[in-house]
Amino acid sequence: MPSGPLALIAELTHRCPLHCVYCSNPLQMQKAASELTTEEWIRVFGEAGRLGCLHVHLTGGEPLARTDLTELVAGARAAGLYTNLITSGIGISEKRLAALVAAGLEHIQLSFQDSRADVADDIAGTRSHAYKVDMARVIRKHKIAFTMNVVVHRQNLDHLADIISLAEELGADRLEIANVQYYGWALRNREALLPTRGQVEQSERTVEEAEKRLRGRMRIDHVSPDYYARYPKACMGGWGRRLMLIDPAGQALPCHAAGVIPGMKFDNVREKSLVWIWQESSAFQRFRGEAWMPEPCRTCDRRTEDFGGCRCQAFLLTGDAAATDPVCSLAPRHELVENVLTQINVGGGQVEVAPKPEWIYRPNVR
Amino acid sequence: MARPDDGSRPRLAAGCRWADPNGAERMLLYPEGAIRLQGTGREILERCDGQRTLQQIVTDLQRQYGAAQPARIQQEVGRFLEQMNQKRIVDY
Repeated sequence: MPSGPLALIAELTHRCPLHCVYCSNPLQMQKAASELTTEEWIRVFGEAGRLGCLHVHLTGGEPLARTDLTELVAGARAAGLYTNLITSGIGISEKRLAALVAAGLEHIQLSFQDSRADVADDIAGTRSHAYKVDMARVIRKHKIAFTMNVVVHRQNLDHLADIISLAEELGADRLEIANVQYYGWALRNREALLPTRGQVEQSERTVEEAEKRLRGRMRIDHVSPDYYARYPKACMGGWGRRLMLIDPAGQALPCHAAGVIPGMKFDNVREKSLVWIWQESSAFQRFRGEAWMPEPCRTCDRRTEDFGGCRCQAFLLTGDAAATDPVCSLAPRHELVENVLTQINVGGGQVEVAPKPEWIYRPNVR
Repeated sequence: MARPDDGSRPRLAAGCRWADPNGAERMLLYPEGAIRLQGTGREILERCDGQRTLQQIVTDLQRQYGAAQPARIQQEVGRFLEQMNQKRIVDY
């Protein structure tokens, strides 16, 4: 039986004032009326603490859309969890942030879409960049850990050096540079988001140089685009091994996108205990361990490192959730990824900034 | 940032804290991670309170470990704190 989970991802709501074109929320979002109550979330945090969970990531949607967020932070701390807020910053005032810190908030991750306001606001589908810069300065007045979070892609990768400078200027302790992962909304916008090979190579040099220069001042965590990797990422650290996600309505998922896989049944924290869901539920057992693995994963030396890659990506690209992740150079269906990369990089991969991409924006929910 | 010097007063960085004590090992929590600490690493970090200087921490540990090789202890403490600084767990 696996120990853990080590961290609980609490999607407190799917409501959000931003409409980011790569949002990790599912295409079918949970409505406000179905959200767990304050008491239900606090009970879940208690169960998570007893299950050995160390961290809770309060996310959304925009978690600040929950008016009870301060109570939820206090509840998470009382359960012994290290409390992290992942936010766009929209909805924080100086007063509200002070209350969150007083309630025990330890780490805040503020998302930015770019260093340039015009591109950032286009990606978010909302004018929000200038406000975020103001909020970063308010956050820095508090003695909590501050991460600046930037999702990178074709439209902003060329600004990476400026993005790093912005993080320095705002005094972030940590900068997370994460390439888009192509599931729900991002997969719909893939053509305009997928970077070129030249961009990816240049960005790796930029990150390496910045890491050296900023050592001891700012930590940089960089997530490379898996489409360009030789082997897949260890998605979620392996299915049902380290992480549990609770969606706004209380469904427990092994990862953000697991709802796309046909035949999944997600148990709900309103009906079942966290420990039962972790240990016994069909959703968490489905791709746990190695029994489900096809060749070449089954006999591959890397199976204990990358666990065959991402199940959701395997399904979305091949139609079979138990296939080897097609980003793997050894995957039988690797050509699905190769073909996309060939298209993107044709003619040396000219980056088209104009005409403006026709984004499919993530709508808000009520 | 360079190694701490004798007068540095190392402290846990913002957003880093100890989990509740749990037997021989203790867990230090920080953004997106945790480390299980035992032995010397734990002894060093437990003394990083922003009050004690590096020199005081070293003297303390030399006393505790019999001070067979005082120079080595000094060097190891410095190196360990530098590593922790790069992970943004310790400031000095």
